[in-house]
Amino acid sequence: MRVPVSWLAEFTEVAATPAEIGDALTRCGFELASIETVPDQGDGPGDTVLDFEITANRPDCLSIRGMAREVALAFRQPFEPRARRRLTPSPNPISLPVTIEAPALCPRYTAALADVRVGPSPPWLAARLHAAGIRAINNVVDVTNYVLVELGHPIHAFDLHQLEGPELRIRQALAGESITTLDGQLRTLTEGMLVIADRSRPQAVAGVMGGLASEVTLSTRTIAIESAYFAPAAVRRTSKRLELSTEASYRFERGADIEAPLVALARVCELLEEIGAGQVTPGFVDVYPTVRGENRVPLRASRVAQLLGQDVPAPEIERILRALGFALVTEPEASTVAWRVAVPSWRGDVTREIDLIEEIARHHGLDRLPVTFPPLTVSPARLDVRLERDAVVRRVAASTGFTECVTFTFIERSAAEPFADASELVAIANPLSETFAVLRPSLIPGLVESVAHNRRRERKDVRLFETGSRFTRTSGESRAIALAWLGSATGLHWSGTDRPADFYDMSGIVEQLGRALGVGVRLEPASSPAMRDGHAALIHASHARGSALVGLVGQLREDLAAAHGVPPAEHLFVAEIDLDAMAALVDLGEHVEVVPLPRHPSVVRDLSLVVPAGLPAATLRATMLANAPETLVNLVEFARYQGKGVPEGHVSLSFRLTFRSPDRTLTDTEVHRAAEAIVAALAAEHGARLR
Amino acid sequence: MPVLPARATPGRLMIDDHAIGQLRADFAAALAAVRTDRDLQALRDRYLGRRGGTVTALYSQIAAAPPDERRRIGQLANELKTWVEDALAERQKAIADLRTAADAIDVTLPGRPRAIGHRHPLTVVRERIESIFAHWGYEILDGPETEDDYHNFEALNMPPEHPARDMQDTLYLAEPLTRRLWSAGASPEASGPATLLRTHTSAMQIRYMESHRPPVRIIAPGRVYRRDSIDVTHTPMFTQIEGLVVGDGVTMADLKGTLTAFLRELFAADARVLFRPSFFPYTEPSAEVLIGCVTCGGAGCQVCKRTGWLEILGCGMVHPAVFEAVGYDAERHTGFAFGVGIERVAMLKYGVDDIRLFYENDMRFLEQFPA
Repeated sequence: MRVPVSWLAEFTEVAATPAEIGDALTRCGFELASIETVPDQGDGPGDTVLDFEITANRPDCLSIRGMAREVALAFRQPFEPRARRRLTPSPNPISLPVTIEAPALCPRYTAALADVRVGPSPPWLAARLHAAGIRAINNVVDVTNYVLVELGHPIHAFDLHQLEGPELRIRQALAGESITTLDGQLRTLTEGMLVIADRSRPQAVAGVMGGLASEVTLSTRTIAIESAYFAPAAVRRTSKRLELSTEASYRFERGADIEAPLVALARVCELLEEIGAGQVTPGFVDVYPTVRGENRVPLRASRVAQLLGQDVPAPEIERILRALGFALVTEPEASTVAWRVAVPSWRGDVTREIDLIEEIARHHGLDRLPVTFPPLTVSPARLDVRLERDAVVRRVAASTGFTECVTFTFIERSAAEPFADASELVAIANPLSETFAVLRPSLIPGLVESVAHNRRRERKDVRLFETGSRFTRTSGESRAIALAWLGSATGLHWSGTDRPADFYDMSGIVEQLGRALGVGVRLEPASSPAMRDGHAALIHASHARGSALVGLVGQLREDLAAAHGVPPAEHLFVAEIDLDAMAALVDLGEHVEVVPLPRHPSVVRDLSLVVPAGLPAATLRATMLANAPETLVNLVEFARYQGKGVPEGHVSLSFRLTFRSPDRTLTDTEVHRAAEAIVAALAAEHGARLR
Repeated sequence: MPVLPARATPGRLMIDDHAIGQLRADFAAALAAVRTDRDLQALRDRYLGRRGGTVTALYSQIAAAPPDERRRIGQLANELKTWVEDALAERQKAIADLRTAADAIDVTLPGRPRAIGHRHPLTVVRERIESIFAHWGYEILDGPETEDDYHNFEALNMPPEHPARDMQDTLYLAEPLTRRLWSAGASPEASGPATLLRTHTSAMQIRYMESHRPPVRIIAPGRVYRRDSIDVTHTPMFTQIEGLVVGDGVTMADLKGTLTAFLRELFAADARVLFRPSFFPYTEPSAEVLIGCVTCGGAGCQVCKRTGWLEILGCGMVHPAVFEAVGYDAERHTGFAFGVGIERVAMLKYGVDDIRLFYENDMRFLEQFPA
């Protein structure tokens, strides 16, 4: 809201400097955006314009009058609007029938007629509008805009001779109706939109913009002046649907003053005659079927203190509210200080006690309130275990060399499709662009993009992770961690140990995350449209309390990586784990039950087996476990070999078996027998033989 | 302790070349026998020790010598001392060479790299804020990013067609999304379908109060979404932390105290904090909180647009309509709520001037933050 200081001075004494006014109003909730000096159009001294941000609850301050009221209170000056002309009812009603057909959307409509000589405005008026940021058009339109800025009430003028009838009907648009608005746009109207129509067609979109057909032009001789009150929701809906926001709609949708129409109409008439733009026809129309009563709100001094944490003296409360136009009557019955407060018509935002307390706080000054701490009256709740889990996961990922990313939750549809069926994708109805069309079903696409971003910037070794939510129609919203690994496994080193990362580097991280969360991890071959065939696995997590499928690990399909700019020779490994699916299994130390440390030595046996190359190690492992005695406490693969000495199509796989009993020392014989049983089972089930 | 062989004439001390020669011979023999650093140190102490060192003792004799002898003795002592020191140093080097094993390694080569990742700056800030409030007994909550109109707007005193909805241009889902939500329990429960991406974490106020009675003391961090085009200060996704305190007799003064202490913990113990009236539909009275500019200290600069102040969070007393929506007794209970933009804090704290850096995930940026 641009406020020329000279205009303010017509409502209250302005002794302070513009900067002081800006500062004082900022402290009561009107943030100063800028102070600007505008030169006068002619030889005048020019003016200083204060530009304020007006919050959505204060449409009354979208006017010089409203701002002046705040300034007057802030500087403890009287607020005295200049005496204005009032409209006098004429015995003969004017010759313009007005019918409100939709009183819920238009509770009040007033109008007057004037014969006009359309021409340029006098310089002082044009200068004022210019300072307020409004372009001068002609004397009639300028007067309506002048009143809009001064009183905050939108006015519209029609060329009376362009109105069929002439008459005005305030009604909802009919299906199929359209109107060319003042900006030259042909707009299709829909039912529910409020229009001002003449006998046959819409002449204005009520509260938003007038129609081109009845525009005031140089040839206009007689005008109908509209000063109405339109329901905020109706104007807002229409303005949204037409994608048309105007000075008028901005005010009406925030709530105009239902008592303002006649005052504003009178001011328009006064100005038209004052600047010699026309002669007002005696009389006016005021259609106001259901007169709104005054709103009264109770206020207790004790409640003010309860909310603000400080007693505000009753005279201070009264001073503030009266200066803002409220009328206070002390409640004689009340045991403590209390009032009945009559709310002025322009303060539609004030409907209950708390609204009054805010007014008091604003002008009493937030800086005057004490600084205290709320008492802790109950024991604090314990940390949500899911947040603790996410923190553990982030720490493990970072400590294994992965740097944390944050990527957008919405991604391109084509980037999402390899990770979920099209029917699973959650689309955004009004995306900013196709780049942000669907909610991510997986964190991997975003990570891949981040890996590629770094790779394009000469970063060859990239390890990134992200924790966040994913969205599919079946699972809704679920929390996950994803990791991506490109480049070196160990980092460049003079010892020459560096090598490119491979599947097992990534699956090792998955296993490490499992250990950190207290769950076992088992991988099983998988195929996925996102992953390179034969290089991907499903992740199963297990715990004493159960097991669940929790994710996917593997090498990203080369063409997907290449599409983002990862060179084809470089392999990108990714993993994603559904943390929510694992929630029931995760144990962060809550259920640990310590077992006694072993008191007897263990016995180790190594078995080197020759097995068919396609046989998964997990299958061999399962057979071994199924055929081992309870004393087998550990089983680990330690060598894998293919080549000379191993038949074609076979592989040599070596296992180290550790046996131990909790209550005695195992004998060589029984360990030997156990190993033999295992080997026999492997031979029988998989054709494995010892190498 | 060897005694200086001096020809003793009463009242006169004589140090001749012979005595010095003897001393040198004794020292050389002892030095040759030294094999370890420890023996070497013992020998050094014997000859050069501050107390009772043989060479040191020479100096103490200077004062007692007749004036015409003093200069000569001093010169002799200096020569001797330099000779002993050089011999000791040479021997020390020889011992070190002796010790070097044939299979010694070059310990100055770099160790094997053990990669360490870095936390994202938004996580660093979020965890810092969480720890401040956790210390003050606040419960930390996690909530859904997809929401329904009721929790995101209506229950927060923003009925349909409320102009304040314009302040938060919303991204809507093409079709309602059914999801299960985690409440306090260990398993998720079915919830009404979501129709939009939450525009603020304030939705969590409603979800929490619907299932908990006062007193309330929570913070809820998370991602929020608005239909904003991307530029240096806007992204369609950003991160907030919501705070809510409800109880008997919670006041605006408590709000001032809490947020002042919070901002001083977060930025600087002497940070200046300013409360300015503002408007949010779900709080009343509402305020905007500003801190003295962290860049210029209040003198006025580009960062603070020459005002000396930076807007850092929005807050206010919970609107009674919000209490009514969740079934709290608005007469009895009062409370305050606040919302902090984590990107905003991180930008100010770390001097980041382009919000997009947080989402580009350039490792050259991310690696500047702690592991």
